Amino acid sequence: MEDVTKTRVEQLIDYIMKNCLWQFHSRNWDRKRQNENILGMTTKLLCGEPVTPETPEDKCYWVDAFCLAEAYRERHPWLATLGVDQIRELMAKLHEQLDFQTITGSLNEELSDQHY
Amino acid sequence: MPYHEFECSKCIPERKQHAVTKGPGEDLTSCLPKGYLNTIPGSISERGCAYCGAKHVIGTPMKDVIHLSHGPIGCTYDTWQTKRYISDNGNFQLKYTFATDVREKHIVFGAEKLLKQNIIEAFQQFPDIKRMTIYQTCATALIGDDINAIAEEVMEELPDVDIFICNSPGFAGPSQSGGHHKINIAWINQKVGTVEPTITSDYVINYVGEYNIQGDQEVMQDFFKRMGIQVLSTFTGNGSYDDLRAMHKAHLNVLECARSAEYICNELRVRYGIPRLDIDGFGFEPLSQSLRKVAMFFGIQDRAEAIIAEETARWKPELDWYKERLKGKKVCLWPGGSKLWHWAHVIEEEMGLKVVSVYTKFGHQGDMEKGIARCGEDALAIDDPNELEGLEALEMLKPDIIFTGKRPGEVAKKVGVPYLNAHAYHNGPYKGYEGWVRFARDIYNAIYSPIHQLAALDISRDPIPTDKGFVTQRMLSDASLPEEIRASTTLRQYSGAYDSVTPLRDKTYPTFDSRPAAAE
Ligand code: SF4
Repeated sequence: MEDVTKTRVEQLIDYIMKNCLWQFHSRNWDRKRQNENILGMTTKLLCGEPVTPETPEDKCYWVDAFCLAEAYRERHPWLATLGVDQIRELMAKLHEQLDFQTITGSLNEELSDQHY
Repeated sequence: MPYHEFECSKCIPERKQHAVTKGPGEDLTSCLPKGYLNTIPGSISERGCAYCGAKHVIGTPMKDVIHLSHGPIGCTYDTWQTKRYISDNGNFQLKYTFATDVREKHIVFGAEKLLKQNIIEAFQQFPDIKRMTIYQTCATALIGDDINAIAEEVMEELPDVDIFICNSPGFAGPSQSGGHHKINIAWINQKVGTVEPTITSDYVINYVGEYNIQGDQEVMQDFFKRMGIQVLSTFTGNGSYDDLRAMHKAHLNVLECARSAEYICNELRVRYGIPRLDIDGFGFEPLSQSLRKVAMFFGIQDRAEAIIAEETARWKPELDWYKERLKGKKVCLWPGGSKLWHWAHVIEEEMGLKVVSVYTKFGHQGDMEKGIARCGEDALAIDDPNELEGLEALEMLKPDIIFTGKRPGEVAKKVGVPYLNAHAYHNGPYKGYEGWVRFARDIYNAIYSPIHQLAALDISRDPIPTDKGFVTQRMLSDASLPEEIRASTTLRQYSGAYDSVTPLRDKTYPTFDSRPAAAE
């Protein structure tokens, strides 16, 4: 990753880690689902694409995604200078990093427990 | 792994894996202690048992219930004097403690007869209360008393009563957390879905993992009601037994303490399709975000924004008064489970404090993940500490204050470190905007208490300043403040009432028209 992208991903992750709770559900599959849905919607919102949550579950992802997108816009003015493709690329890297920190690279031994 | 080895625990080598220091560049893939394991023999843990976690933490905050422990009365030790989960029905659940008083002869001959006698007697003594929870303890579990059978018998004989059985004896897990899990699952298995509620709003939530410590639940409920949201049940602070039987009819589970209550939310999602939204009720910004998210879920964000604007304008200048005086003060954030992550970041952001250590008595690695993610560099994170490690950490870190439970808190006081009660609070509630200012005030009062500073002097060792007269908190806290802060006309100290909760109980709330777009 080039330095500027790395720094940006770190800034975006840092916000999630310090302010959000949704990335820390209790099982691997749970976290995967949360990260995928919430970051997926956040990416769309940042790219100016419409998000229309239909089910209660989708609405729940959407409120977290909406607040995250708002916080990013407010805190990181450089986001406004990026094109849609650049945002998508950045968010994909963020997703990869977040999955690594909370799932694949996590030291939490309970994540793979079969039961809730 | 950046493990921290305590000098005092060198003789218990396994302890090393239970403490880490978050060094520069460390993240969760390199820095996480072990957690939720059996306490290592030789380490005098501060944990409670699984019965304690089930009953004293989660069961008993239910307000309209006779909470009966089937066991020796000693198991009910943590009741009147340590718990502060109040309720709006005269604190019935706090005023009375029920135990079957099992003795040696019952261990030999069985205690089922005794149990039945106790259940009937308790219902007779309190004829207005028709609900009961019965908690298994070690002794009665080991002798194999069939609590379920006795409860069934009584329910047949007294058809207007309902009884819930919590089978979580002290040994049913490594700590109180095992009991949290057990009672969550027992409640959803036995009781959820057995009552059909009256729905009064288009927007219906369960408020989960909230225990009404000094009124926290009532403060949050006030916000929800102001938004026209029906709080169908609260699991369990100030919660009603029958409301909790109807949890399956909510549109959303709003989860506060995930440590103690994520289990029931997860099950409600799987079994009834109700989604789970994790929130933070502490601190201006996290609380505002939380209210906003709940409102957005229902499409009523304007209602949340109105509350956020009003409350922030009212209370922010008071929070900032304290922030100016608390900046840079070092804190050991040593609560039981969830507050280490609820508070770690926001007390730094909004009060200017510096978290030098987090610990958890019964948290899992997931709680440490959240806590470590939220603290800054150099914080020492400890899982299931023992008293000697606590003392060694205080000596090493030299905090200005410690937030913890009353037992380790009293130990800290003895070594001159002021403590605030992180479990039961000092002058709470601490949730809500006003509550957060009350917390800041308590921190300020503890750090700048002239009597505390005097008490820290040891007359057998320290020079006693006989040339100095009386000092006040302001003399201590304002000594090095710039003039514009000291004389600020916008910042002010807490101006709320002594009791910020009771008036909420008689409040009337606006009615809102039904919206067609409401969530189903
Ligand atoms: S460990 Fe057993 S005997 Fe001790 S308080 Fe808990 S339930 Fe009672």
